[in-house]
Amino acid sequence: MASAVDTPAAPAGATSAAVRVLRERFGDRLRAVAEFRGDLAITVDRSAWVEAARALREDPELDFKLFLDLCGVDYLDKEDRAERFEVALHAYSVSTKHHVRLKVALPESDPTVDTLCGVYKGANWFEREAWDLYGIVFRGHPNLTRILTHDDFVGHPMRKDYPTAKRHVLKKSKEWLLKVPEGSENLIVNIGPSHPAMHGTFRIQALMDGETIEDAEAEIGYMHRNFEKMAESRTYWQVIPYTDRLNYCSSFMNGHGWALAVEKLLGVPAPPRAEAIRVILSEFSRIMDHLVAVSTNVVDLGAITPFFVVFRAREDIYELLDACCGARLTVSYVRIGGLAADVPDDFEALCRKALASIREVTKQAEKLLTRNPIFANRFRDIGVLGADDALAYGWVGPCLRGSGVAYDIRKDHPYSGYEQYDFDVPIGTVGDCYDRYLVRIEEIYQSLRIIEQALGKLPKGPIITDDKKVALPPKSEVYSNIEALMNHFKLVYEGILPPPGEVYGYTEAANGELGFYIVSDGAKHPWRVKVRPPCFNIYQAYPQMIKGGFLADAVAIIGGLNVVAGELDR
Amino acid sequence: MGLLDVLRGKFVDPTHYPSVHEGGDIITTRLDAVVKWGRKSSVWPMPFGTACCAIEFMAFTASHYDVARFGSEVLRFSPRQADLMFVAGTIPDKLAPVLKTIYDQMPEPKWVVSMGVCASSGGFYRSYHVMQGIDEIVPVDVYVPGCPPSPESLLMAIMKIQERIQRSQQAKEPQGKDRVGAAGDGAIDRRARRAAWRKDDAERTSQGLPPRGVLTLRVMPEEAKDTEPHHG
Repeated sequence: MASAVDTPAAPAGATSAAVRVLRERFGDRLRAVAEFRGDLAITVDRSAWVEAARALREDPELDFKLFLDLCGVDYLDKEDRAERFEVALHAYSVSTKHHVRLKVALPESDPTVDTLCGVYKGANWFEREAWDLYGIVFRGHPNLTRILTHDDFVGHPMRKDYPTAKRHVLKKSKEWLLKVPEGSENLIVNIGPSHPAMHGTFRIQALMDGETIEDAEAEIGYMHRNFEKMAESRTYWQVIPYTDRLNYCSSFMNGHGWALAVEKLLGVPAPPRAEAIRVILSEFSRIMDHLVAVSTNVVDLGAITPFFVVFRAREDIYELLDACCGARLTVSYVRIGGLAADVPDDFEALCRKALASIREVTKQAEKLLTRNPIFANRFRDIGVLGADDALAYGWVGPCLRGSGVAYDIRKDHPYSGYEQYDFDVPIGTVGDCYDRYLVRIEEIYQSLRIIEQALGKLPKGPIITDDKKVALPPKSEVYSNIEALMNHFKLVYEGILPPPGEVYGYTEAANGELGFYIVSDGAKHPWRVKVRPPCFNIYQAYPQMIKGGFLADAVAIIGGLNVVAGELDR
Repeated sequence: MGLLDVLRGKFVDPTHYPSVHEGGDIITTRLDAVVKWGRKSSVWPMPFGTACCAIEFMAFTASHYDVARFGSEVLRFSPRQADLMFVAGTIPDKLAPVLKTIYDQMPEPKWVVSMGVCASSGGFYRSYHVMQGIDEIVPVDVYVPGCPPSPESLLMAIMKIQERIQRSQQAKEPQGKDRVGAAGDGAIDRRARRAAWRKDDAERTSQGLPPRGVLTLRVMPEEAKDTEPHHG
C-alpha cells in the first residue's frame, strides 16, 4: 500500500528534464540541485530568477503551468547558509504530473528580487505576503503593500528576530480601498468584513457604474492569526490542533495533510488501518465541507430551506466524530504516524447511519436546487474562469475541476491508499458557478462511494506506527515496562526529531490542494512551516472575476468559491 | 358587573373586576416586569462570526439544536436591529476597529456574548496579530468557554443572558481595558509582562491604590442587604 513516503517518487526522466533545461539556459547561474524524499529543489542565482520561472512554465517539455505557492524563509544565524533569506516557488505540471521547487537566496543587506507577477498571475498576493511577513522586496511588483497584517503594524513579524507575541494596536480601519476617478459619478460600495454574504471576514470594495461593477479590490488579513509563527515554537504534535482551525469546515482533513507531510519528512508511514480510517473520516469531512458550501451559498440567494435540510446530516457526521475523539468540530484526532486512538466499536454503524442520512439530504437538496430555474438563472454563466487563468492563479480542487481541469491529487498522486478505491473525478465544462456547484454535489456522491468501499475492507491491526521515535508507546506498557517508560519520557521531553531537510507534503483537501512546506533543521520545532492554502489563490482571482458583472452576482460567486477565512489568512 | 346590574340598582363593587378576580383572561403585573419578560423572550442576536466558532453557531441556529425554542431565532445581520451580539471567533487586531464600530452601532440596551476562548482571551493564539480577549474594547456579559463551545453551551449562554435581562444587569465597561498589554505593548513575553505588572503594581501602590486584580471582600451590614430583586 502506498503511503506518504513512497508516493512522490518522481521518475528520473522529468526531474532531469527540468534540471537539464535550466542548466542549458543558465549554466552556472543554476546554483544547486537537491532531491530529498522525492522533492526536487533547484536553486538559481538572483539574476536568473524570473527567467528560470518563465522557462519552467513555458517550456513545452516542462509545462509547470499550475502555480502553487511562493513564500519567504528566514535562515537567521544558520552557519550553513551564506545568505539570510530565501524565496521558494512551488509549481506543478498537470501534464507530466511533477512538482518543482525553485529557490533563490537573498542577502540580509539587500533582500530584493524581481517580481514573478509577469509569469504567474497568482504570484501577486504571495509576493505581498512575503513582503509583509519577511520584508523581502519584489522589484516591479504593481502593489507591494501589507496584506495580512494591518497598516499600523511595525516590522516584519515572521522574521526570526521578531517576538511571537509583540502586538501593534490598530485604532482605525482603512476606509477606502479604491478611489472614485476624477469627474466620475460612480459610487463605491463596501462589502465586509462583517457582512452576511461574505461568510467570514473578507472585504471587497466595488466601484459601481449603475448596477455594473467597474472595478473591485479585495482586502484580507482579518483572520490572520499567525498559524505559521505559532508552529515555529511548537513541536510537530502540538501543531495538530492548530491545523484543525485552518479550514474549520473540514478540520480532520487538515490534520491528515499535516500528518502526511511530517510522515514524509520522517520517512515513517502510518499503518494500513490508520490510513483507512483517515480516508473514511477525510471523506466525511469533505462531504461536510461541500454541504456547508452549497447550502450557505444558496442562503445568500434567498433559499434557506436547503440549509436546514443538510444540517441534519451534518449532525450525524458530528456524532461520528464525537464518538471517535470526543470533539465535534476541532477533532485533533490524527497523530504523526497514525491516529490518537482506535475507533469505537459502533464505528461502522455510526458510519452507515451518517451515509444514509447524507444520501437522503443530498438528494433532497439536489431536488430543491439543480433543476430549479431561479437557482439556475442565478448561477449559469456567472463567474466564468477558463482553465488557463485558473491554472495561472493556482486554483485547485472543485473550483479548478469546475473549470475543466481534471486534477485530483487522490487520483494523480494517491496517498493513504486512495489507489485501492474506485471513484470518478467530475469536471465542469464552462467554469461557471453552476459547474462548481455540480462538481461539489457529484463529489459528495463519489465520497460516499469511497467510504462504502473503505468500510467494506477496513483492515485490522495497529492504529499507530510502532516507531519508538515517533509514536508514544501504549499506556499499559508505560506503566509496566521500563523501556517503554523511557521511550515515553524521551519522546515527550525531546519531541519528534526529524532529519534536517525540507519537504512539500500535499493532499486533496475539501477546497483543493492543501500543502505544507516544512523546513526542518533537525530540532524538535519546525524551522519554517508554510501552509499552501487553496483559498488564498482562489480568493485572489475573485476581484477580477466580478468585474463587469452585477453586484448581486458577486454574492453568488463568493459563496460558490467557498473561501474559508481561517485558511485564507491562516 | 354590567350596565344591567347598575340599572337594576344592584350593589356593584367598583374595585371588583370579574375578569380579573374570578379567573378571567387579564393579569396584572408591573410594567417593568412585563417589559423585561418580553425583552428576554425575544432576543434578536447578531452573529459577529469570524472563525470556527461561527460554524458551531450555525449548528446552534439550525434544525437540531433550534434556538427558536428560546425565542432568539431572528438573526439580524445588521447591528442596528439587534440587541445581543455573539462574537464567535478569533478577533485579530486588524478586525478590532470593525468590532468596536459594530458594537457602537447597536442600540441600547445591548448585551454581548463572547463565544469561545479566542474571543474571551485570545485562546492558544498568543501571537502578534491577535487581540487577547474582546473585553479589551467591548464590555462582555457572558463568556462561553470551549474551542469551539458546543451548541449546548451556547443555549446555556442564551439562558444566562435572559437571566441578566430579567435582573436588568448589563455590562457597561470593557472589563479588560486596563489589562496590562491591552494596548499591545506589554504582551511580548512572559518576563517582559511580569516586569510590566511589577511596574504597574509599584505605581498604584505609590498612589495608595491596591494592585489590580486583587479582590477585596467586605461583610455587608444586615440592613443594607437588598431583599427585593433588582429593578434597574
